[in-house]
Amino acid sequence: MAKKYTLDELLIITAAREIHDYENIILGVGLPTTAGALAKAIHAPHATLMMESGIIDFEPLVPPNHIADAHSCRGFSYATDLFSAFTMTYRGFVDVCFLGVAQIDKYGNINTTAIGDYYKPKLRLTGSGGAADFISYARRTILTMRGGEFVDKLDYFTSPGYLDGGDSRERAGLFPPGSGPSMLLTTKGVFRFDEQTKEMYLARTHPGMSIDDIRKDIPWELKIADDVSTTDRPTDEEITFIRRFAPTEVVGRKLMFELGLANAARKAQEKNNG
Amino acid sequence: MSEKQSKVMNAKDAVSRFVHDGDHLVIGNYTVGTCAELAFEIIRQGIKGLTLYSQSGVFDVEVLVGGGCVDRLVSTYVYRAGGKEGGSAVERAIKAGTLEMEDYTNFQYNARMEAGKHGFSFMQVLEGPMVTDLFKKRTFMGDDKYRVITCPYTGKDILTVPAATPDVCIVHVQRADRFGNAQYWGALGSVAAAALASKRIVISCEEIVEHDVIQSSPHLTIIPAYRVDAVVEVPWGAHPTEVLGYYNLDRLMYAMFFISDMTGDGLKAWMDEWVYGCRNREAYIDHYLEKFGAGMLNDIRAKSYFSAPANYGSAFTSCWDLEDKERTLGITLEEMEKILEERGMLYG
Repeated sequence: MAKKYTLDELLIITAAREIHDYENIILGVGLPTTAGALAKAIHAPHATLMMESGIIDFEPLVPPNHIADAHSCRGFSYATDLFSAFTMTYRGFVDVCFLGVAQIDKYGNINTTAIGDYYKPKLRLTGSGGAADFISYARRTILTMRGGEFVDKLDYFTSPGYLDGGDSRERAGLFPPGSGPSMLLTTKGVFRFDEQTKEMYLARTHPGMSIDDIRKDIPWELKIADDVSTTDRPTDEEITFIRRFAPTEVVGRKLMFELGLANAARKAQEKNNG
Repeated sequence: MSEKQSKVMNAKDAVSRFVHDGDHLVIGNYTVGTCAELAFEIIRQGIKGLTLYSQSGVFDVEVLVGGGCVDRLVSTYVYRAGGKEGGSAVERAIKAGTLEMEDYTNFQYNARMEAGKHGFSFMQVLEGPMVTDLFKKRTFMGDDKYRVITCPYTGKDILTVPAATPDVCIVHVQRADRFGNAQYWGALGSVAAAALASKRIVISCEEIVEHDVIQSSPHLTIIPAYRVDAVVEVPWGAHPTEVLGYYNLDRLMYAMFFISDMTGDGLKAWMDEWVYGCRNREAYIDHYLEKFGAGMLNDIRAKSYFSAPANYGSAFTSCWDLEDKERTLGITLEEMEKILEERGMLYG
């Protein structure tokens, strides 16, 4: 019988399958690094994994704590600086990058800066970090949204997707042809972007999610792929790898805190008894 | 990584595959440890019409110009054999009208490579030389040798140089792995910028090392594998120039070269013997040993003075401790899977 999987595992594995062998990948912390490690271990052994801090060609052994975490690997091939990591992306040497999303519109434009009025925000979020530059110049960008929202109009425009749709990204003359978001992964499904209109459409639904469940989060009339089906199931090999590599990603943040606190309490108890 | 990705080949194949007639070619090395064997191989293959970039054109530029490979030269400093009588291949070619040269300062030349490396179309440089003939006298680059713009913040005139994006860089380093990660130490000069500005990169090295040597010393890597086209292992590949940690400058051989280079006939005779007369570096070293014996090479072999190792270690390389418990959660994989099942978190 095939192994059962968690929703987080499904997301990681779906993202990992977007990475091809021999590609150069910029990874962020969390889901992206686990996806990168999985891809490198299973189907893309020659992929070059990079972090924007200047860690180039690393093989993660444990999930990094942040994007400058050389503790996560045993050495790496090339130590450069942040400036050069971005200009190598500018020059077209980065195939794939991953970005998290707080608000997204139908053309894949992204807000990760503020909810509400920028000057008096309801929520002040992280800001651009590497996002606005990476999505501008990486050949493909994979977007992930866990807890964010679909909106008609972004509260703050942080990172450029397909602008006003159609050929507007290309007409802007600022971006390499063919670049832009290639996929949005949410906790409910997989979205892609129409080749002509560049409008987002639903490509896959995760297990237990109906199209109606997904539609009710989206303020516009969502288009659905003709061949929409359930997200491809992970293989046992993929699930086994993720559980060994990133158990805390597998259980999710809430359960990690619960079990971690219990573990800390147990250690304190052992000390008192001992 | 597998053998499939190996870029190792000999100098002959590397040059014939990646250096073409009419290329813009940059010598990555700056003053020390030049890629002598790659330059010799370009000459032996009769490559013509190069636009040659060299930060400081000494031995390497002389042989390439003397070999008739170069139509145009971009540099900051060229060799002269001494006094009014001592000529050079560059001087003879300029006089004969077979070579055009654009003069830059060291900083400007390096700035052109930095712009190319980072994908910028130009770079701001220091304003002083704007009043000199460096600015006024121009050859094949014409208006595009320099352009002056107005600073949008101060309103001042700013001198700029265009990015250099050579077709191919040839460069000699101490060591590399077979994938192309190239490690170089000593005087950094403009080596990394010259290589990274280029479209193709051909590396020669004193030795090819295992990938884990690179992984445990990433701060020494100046060119990452994904940029590199060919890796050529050539011991003594920079001779008669020097490679830190391997050998010193061969002062005797160097002097003999420069005496020969005072005249066109002299240089031709030297090149007939040492470039055309030796089909590769092995033959060159054999010829050298035959002529001078091993003593002269042994005298310039480097004695070891190792840098202190940098510790790239971390506390652990797995999320699971020695009892197979997850370090944060304090449970085994089986226990974790049981909890996921109990909490109804599993699908499929």
